[in-house]
Amino acid sequence: MWNKLFNYLGLAVAYFGFNFKAQLEYRTAFVSQSFAMFLNDCIWLVYFIMFFDRFNVLKGWHAEDVATLWAVTAAGFGIGHSLFGNSLGLARIIANGDLDGWLLYPRALLPHVVLGKMSASSFGDAIFGYVVYLVVVKPDLPHFLLFTALTCSVALLFLGFSVLTGSLSFFIGNGDSLSEGWRNALIAFSTYPMDLFDGKTKLLLLTIIPAAYVSGFPVEALRKLSLLHAAYSLLGALAVVATAAIVFHLGLRRYESGNMVAMRG
Amino acid sequence: MVIVMKLAVEVDNLRKVYEVHKRRGLFAREKSEVVSVDNVSFSVPEGQALAFVGPNGAGKSTTIRMLTGILRPTSGSARVLGFDPWKDRARMAFHIGAVFGQRSQLWYHLPAGDTFDLLARIYNIDPREYKKRRDELVERFDLGALIDVPVRKLSLGQRMRAEVAASLLHKPKLLMLDEPTIGLDINARHQLRELIREWNRRDGLTVFLTSHDTGDIESVAERVIIINHGRIVLDDTVDDLRNRKEFAGLSLEDALAHIYGLEHDASLDDDKVEALIS
Amino acid sequence: MSALKKYWAIAWISAKSNLAYVSEVWSRLFFLAVILYVFMCVWKATFANNPAGRFEGFTLNEIVWYLAFAEAIIMSSPRVTPLVDEDVRTGAIAVQLVRPLSYPLYRLASNFGEQIVRFATTFFAAAVIAVVLGGVPDNFATGLLFALIVLPFAFVLDFLGYLLVGLSAFWFEDTTGLALIYSRLTMIAGGMLLPLELFPENFRLVLKGLPFAYIVNGPAGLFVHPDLTVLGMVLVNQLVWIAVFSLLVAAVYRKALGRIALNGG
Repeated sequence: MWNKLFNYLGLAVAYFGFNFKAQLEYRTAFVSQSFAMFLNDCIWLVYFIMFFDRFNVLKGWHAEDVATLWAVTAAGFGIGHSLFGNSLGLARIIANGDLDGWLLYPRALLPHVVLGKMSASSFGDAIFGYVVYLVVVKPDLPHFLLFTALTCSVALLFLGFSVLTGSLSFFIGNGDSLSEGWRNALIAFSTYPMDLFDGKTKLLLLTIIPAAYVSGFPVEALRKLSLLHAAYSLLGALAVVATAAIVFHLGLRRYESGNMVAMRG
Repeated sequence: MVIVMKLAVEVDNLRKVYEVHKRRGLFAREKSEVVSVDNVSFSVPEGQALAFVGPNGAGKSTTIRMLTGILRPTSGSARVLGFDPWKDRARMAFHIGAVFGQRSQLWYHLPAGDTFDLLARIYNIDPREYKKRRDELVERFDLGALIDVPVRKLSLGQRMRAEVAASLLHKPKLLMLDEPTIGLDINARHQLRELIREWNRRDGLTVFLTSHDTGDIESVAERVIIINHGRIVLDDTVDDLRNRKEFAGLSLEDALAHIYGLEHDASLDDDKVEALIS
Repeated sequence: MSALKKYWAIAWISAKSNLAYVSEVWSRLFFLAVILYVFMCVWKATFANNPAGRFEGFTLNEIVWYLAFAEAIIMSSPRVTPLVDEDVRTGAIAVQLVRPLSYPLYRLASNFGEQIVRFATTFFAAAVIAVVLGGVPDNFATGLLFALIVLPFAFVLDFLGYLLVGLSAFWFEDTTGLALIYSRLTMIAGGMLLPLELFPENFRLVLKGLPFAYIVNGPAGLFVHPDLTVLGMVLVNQLVWIAVFSLLVAAVYRKALGRIALNGG
């Protein structure tokens, strides 16, 4: 059991290095894409801070809180998708029948597939998250450690969410745009404070658009240095990952039956 | 004296039926079934080089995808190197190599050597063992300087050589090749066939090959199975097939075309008969 | 006249083929609904904290309709940059030279056809959502008429910017980063999330001097506050900017063709 876990961790590290090397083959594109995403995030952040400041949107919310919200969301998204880049394109991989190749390897399919690529723009998101948190919020050590842990939990959630939405392709044909639309909805909700939404909407954000675990709980955890809120976030992430794994494997059965893409070969 | 041959592949009444949905109007859907592989049985002894051929849509790649564990059959069973491909897919994968001509496992933007390193991790190959194996493959596949060149800069022939070498890294006992020479020029094709044959004859590698190129069949395979409409229509050694009376004076290519054609007519007759009965 | 027909045919085909992607339309509308709902919640909270009931002449309902119209413009913008980028890199742009077509006009026509279809579907859905969220606005008919007068010019202007970014592929190794930043400028400087009238004074003056204001804020502003003077001003600005961008495209395109000739295609 432990041996196997360490073996997979070793494989993951090998893939990170390998993917990074592949990105560096096109250094200019890699740098310009990550930098553009970094800049993009900065533009939004400045805009939001101005917005919240000018219109007094939510009592008790200040520039620092807006920055924390963006930092944890962007860093989580960035870590999740830069290291596990294939999760972003999973819908298309499934619809094109490209899982075939991955099925030939002696490895657990899902973890292996998502490791297979790195996303340059997501790399920019990750950098942005940490830079903003360090520069704008200027945390002390406990806050920074909690932030780091939370970004990993959020990364796990995004990874699971992308796998979950991407797996729709097993059932509906090419679910690429639906997967993207759903993910964008999650991001849209995650970039605003939870308190803006009423009870029913909050229920939605705890379930099918799980933004509460992306920014809601993490921001509270960081504002109050509350481990309880951090635990909520982690639990949410684990639930999403578990659901994703189940849906993916149900879908894989359809894939293996060949009926999903009947008559392709 | 009885010689017990070990079997690399054992297929028993393998059948694959696809469900096809056709849209009728806005909501109604019509379900129909298409039989892709129809109760196929055969076995391949260890060390044999087998060509598995047939026209497009005959059920070749469905069979290959079932044997590699990608697809589950509707019924029937198979053992590949003693494994059940659908239960033990991952464990079986340690012992088979696969090259699909249309799909590369080498990373396009990186040198082949980098992919080799990664594959060593994926297949858990011991580092010292890996180095030895890699050197051997580089030498026998004449990859020398090519190993450090990004794959996108290689010619197709060089790439396919690296591709086959990569699939042998983990010392598989069985190599599955799906259209390995497609798109290659004459020299590259020749070289690749020679290599595959050498690994088969000298190292005892079992080879399972599909191809539309009769040259591949003649120079690599000892035995040929022809499949059409999901059924095996011929299973013979390549030599015997060539020496058959009815194909005297015909090239292998013409002989195959003849067999595909006969089969086609026969199936038409079946339909007619069925129509008459009902 | 026959030249015009040719490009009209291209626009028509592109519009028709775009209608085929039904799933893409649905997920766009899903995302749109989410975004408008989030905006609605944010502005509700904002209005609740500011009892005056109006921001620079905007009521809550007007803001929602402004956002619906602006969002429909942004979301209907076809992604033309990657297409141009690819044409440049694959040399397809050189192949175009032997056809009796102008490449920029060909792209314009096809872009225009696609954007009209996308806008029509998106705005229809946005309007339904806005009616549900806020009710029918005053001056709906006049507003729509005024907005539709300036909208085609907004589409052309929007297109020219992305075309320029795409043509930069002649010089840059990667244009995705640039396209990202440019699209963010259109969103924010164009006034997608916030009418330019609500920006701080000095910001607003700068932004009104940029072309982006006449892609988004111009039409959306006229839609909620139809005004003949504003209509004339928006039109003049659009035409001036279209002229400037067209000259730029012509210059860049000529320079690029020189490079093709040098490289032999």
